[in-house]
Amino acid sequence: MSAVRITGGKVLDPANGEVGVERDVFIQDGRIAASGAVGEGVTETIDAKGGVVMAGAIDIHTHIAGGKSNIARLLMVEEQRAIREPAGPFCACGGGLSTMTAHATGCRYVEMGYTAAFEPAVVGANARHMHYEMGDIPFLDTGGYLVLGNDDFLLDLIASGAGQQAVNDYVAWMLAATKCMAIKIVNPGGINAFKFNARRLDLDEANPHYEITPRKILTTLIRAVTELGLAHPIHLHGCNLGVPGNEQTTLDTIAATEGLPLHMTHVQFHSYGTEGDRKFSSGAAKIAEAVNKNPNISIDVGQIMFGQTVTASADLMSQHRNRGIATPKRWIGMDIEMDAACGIVPFEYKDKSFVNALQWAIGLELFLLVEDPWRIFLTTDHPNGAPFTTYPHLLRLLMDKPFRDEQFAKLPKSARKHSILNELKREYTLEEIAIVTRAAPAKILGLTDRGHLGAGAAGDVVIYRDDPDREAMFSKAEYVLKDGRVVVKDGEIVDVVYGRTHSVAPDYDKSMDAKLDRWFDQAIGFKAKTFKMRDHEIRDGQGTVVHATKRSA
Amino acid sequence: MTDVSSGGVTHHDVVCPFCGLGCDDVSLTVRGNAVEAGEGACGRAAALFRRSADPAPSARVMGREVALDEALAAAAELVSAARSPVYGGLGTDVDGVRALIKLASKTGGSVDHYASTGLFRNLSTSQRKGWIATTLAEVRNHCDLLVVIGPDPSEAFHRLYNRITPPTGRFIKGKRKVVFLGGAPSDEARAQLEGVEIQTIAVPEGELLDALSRLQGLLSDAPAVPGGPDLAALAEGLKGAHYGVLAWSAGMLGGDGDLIVERASIIVDILNVDTRAACLPLAGRDNLIGANQAFLWNIGFPLRTAFRGGQADHDQLLNSTEEALKSGDLLIWTSAFRPEQPPAFEGQLVAFAHPDTIFEREPEVFVPVGQPGLDHRGLAFRTDTVVSIPLGHYRDAGLPSIAMVAKGLRERLS
Ligand code: SF4
Ligand SMILES: [Zn+2]
Repeated sequence: MSAVRITGGKVLDPANGEVGVERDVFIQDGRIAASGAVGEGVTETIDAKGGVVMAGAIDIHTHIAGGKSNIARLLMVEEQRAIREPAGPFCACGGGLSTMTAHATGCRYVEMGYTAAFEPAVVGANARHMHYEMGDIPFLDTGGYLVLGNDDFLLDLIASGAGQQAVNDYVAWMLAATKCMAIKIVNPGGINAFKFNARRLDLDEANPHYEITPRKILTTLIRAVTELGLAHPIHLHGCNLGVPGNEQTTLDTIAATEGLPLHMTHVQFHSYGTEGDRKFSSGAAKIAEAVNKNPNISIDVGQIMFGQTVTASADLMSQHRNRGIATPKRWIGMDIEMDAACGIVPFEYKDKSFVNALQWAIGLELFLLVEDPWRIFLTTDHPNGAPFTTYPHLLRLLMDKPFRDEQFAKLPKSARKHSILNELKREYTLEEIAIVTRAAPAKILGLTDRGHLGAGAAGDVVIYRDDPDREAMFSKAEYVLKDGRVVVKDGEIVDVVYGRTHSVAPDYDKSMDAKLDRWFDQAIGFKAKTFKMRDHEIRDGQGTVVHATKRSA
Repeated sequence: MTDVSSGGVTHHDVVCPFCGLGCDDVSLTVRGNAVEAGEGACGRAAALFRRSADPAPSARVMGREVALDEALAAAAELVSAARSPVYGGLGTDVDGVRALIKLASKTGGSVDHYASTGLFRNLSTSQRKGWIATTLAEVRNHCDLLVVIGPDPSEAFHRLYNRITPPTGRFIKGKRKVVFLGGAPSDEARAQLEGVEIQTIAVPEGELLDALSRLQGLLSDAPAVPGGPDLAALAEGLKGAHYGVLAWSAGMLGGDGDLIVERASIIVDILNVDTRAACLPLAGRDNLIGANQAFLWNIGFPLRTAFRGGQADHDQLLNSTEEALKSGDLLIWTSAFRPEQPPAFEGQLVAFAHPDTIFEREPEVFVPVGQPGLDHRGLAFRTDTVVSIPLGHYRDAGLPSIAMVAKGLRERLS
């Protein structure tokens, strides 16, 4: 039995209503314990005086693994050569920044105090790869969101009028087969339509083959996850990513939910108007207003930062449209297995560019205009907007208005003219940061034992030095404990542990088995039973942590 | 599904790991150590799955039979003393590759897969310029016109056309068409393509690249590139196709293979402006693709990466096995899927290899290993790089996996 006592720190635990309370935190056998429960058994005491104690941070949307990450590494070989991680007692020879290797990903996250990160775009055909790769990422608990909404089996079910029940059964079957924990939709129906040579698909435009609209796909899947009782709502990458004027699509999408829960991801890329002489303007105010008014909607921002990165998306329709702006000039697209697609386009965001500067401002406007910190999440859509290593800088932008104004002033005048950023007085408090990076992500993912420091929670605890320079504060944690073990001390990694993989497995009518056996045999050309992942394939036989759903298996 | 009879156990729906197509409808009958593949297996797979009832050979050090432990101790001594180790073969599952990465990053040395020539011809385009590629099931259902460039890939990917171009596909209206440009289908390929329209366009030896340039010219309305054969009809066919696919096996292309690949990818780019098209680059025997994938996510570089002083660096010329052996003093040869012979080499040889491997000369250390997908479970990748296939465990012949052996060796190094 081991027990750790963290003394003297200010505890920031908004999920349990604690805001800067100075108290001891106990961790026993890898879990948070009530102070009375540990008694004399403390084996290690950590002095956190002058520090801030929080639960491990959680990234709800970061592209950390899978085929498209490997394609990005392949394309960004210069970055891989430039940024190497030397082999050491704890590290293999990985590298990269926007294309970080598995080991480096775990290291860079945990140094900042993150102990869980979720891969938001698992294409079913690539799920096995995704899980093997996530298994090589140290320190982090992980899980994947399965991409549906462009898969031919589903579109065929909807188009043929098979009914909601059949869709629900299929969604549950796919979740079990791919060991994922939520459903993501990327450009509903659009990726599929591109395979039939459509170049754009609006919310109410019919897919050229199936003759169903993105709206129909979206509402059907929203109902499916609601009826299956998944904790996480549909995680939506909407139609028309990056297209000026897409603010209207985003507003229409919010209206289409009719009050059912929906998470909209990297909304910065979906908040563009067409005002001004360049026909590109900020839609942040309108979008934020709609989010504020609709408590069923949550968003993550997908903030961009200036510099070289690589954009990796399942949305080949959009990426093909964007191929001309690739820097350096190379890009890869793939149509994938009657399932989805991917497009990887390297890109450099430039502060001198009117469009990029405004994108930067739009992201921050969203952060500052959305009022409820429980419904907005800190993301750069790593690596699409920027590498996740820019989070500390982003946190300072949110918490420090003078610093933000200073950065804003560096932008081209043309872009500043189109942004209200310097009129926004809000500064995020530490409590709000603890919400957007810990408490709220855990809540929206249904991870009841994460994101807080109540008794029974996972023993993932972070101590930060309370530094007025918030960027410095959040760059390197003083201490990080993973499942009660100290893995970071003074910002340096001192031990390596591995997290677990989270999944859900709602029940389904077993007649779906026979239907999918037939589908795989005929359409896919291999067997459904080969497609299905088994527990022994996850983390050397550990299997996943299966979370309860309303319709549990 | 498993049938038990007095003659042994027959397993159905076994996943085949060999060529990279990942057929999963193979049946295997196992009697003690003996294995015979039945239905589903192509000729190559049947030969590679076949095992006699003989017990597995034991490990050897300088030709002397020893226990595994002793063999690993001897290997550890050789590796520790080596100035410049070369990791070759790499015919192993993802776990084996992971273990070899850890070993190589500790000992230093270059790492390459024995069948990577074609992969690097493909990478010279995909990495430098990119392409639009596709996967097997997309071809199967969308592709109304498949253009096979160069030699018929089904010589290496035996059941290719059964898998990707059956006569009907979900979205194919009318008859599917396959055009062989500069190659001809084997009789077996013709049999698989029954019900599909076949056309062959002969290209004089060594002129495939010119032919593709001419095709590109026809598609981009550039001034005509003179010479034969006439490709105007093919160009029109591709423009009119709903989903044209250009397929090739880069390993079978000649010395200008990288340029042929590049040209094909440009043609696909041009076609995608007005219609849909994609490349199907075929390469991937013995989990070549899985080895490359595991390298990318763990190290950040493709294969042909060398570790020196705790740093990894990639160089597709210098770190090929062939080049590396010129300055290497120890070859660590790993080949679990087939008895692939290691290349001729003057230096020392440690082989973690298929029990039936025939060596030109006795290795200093030989450890017979099990085959992923027969002797132990494992993961391999299909040629299209997206789908990975779970390999099963069907017999217990007492053969360790490469992952176990590599880990055992690493633990013996100080
Ligand atoms: S074609 Fe390839 S995967 Fe299929 S049985 Fe033959 S060797 Fe195995
Ligand atoms: Zn994303």
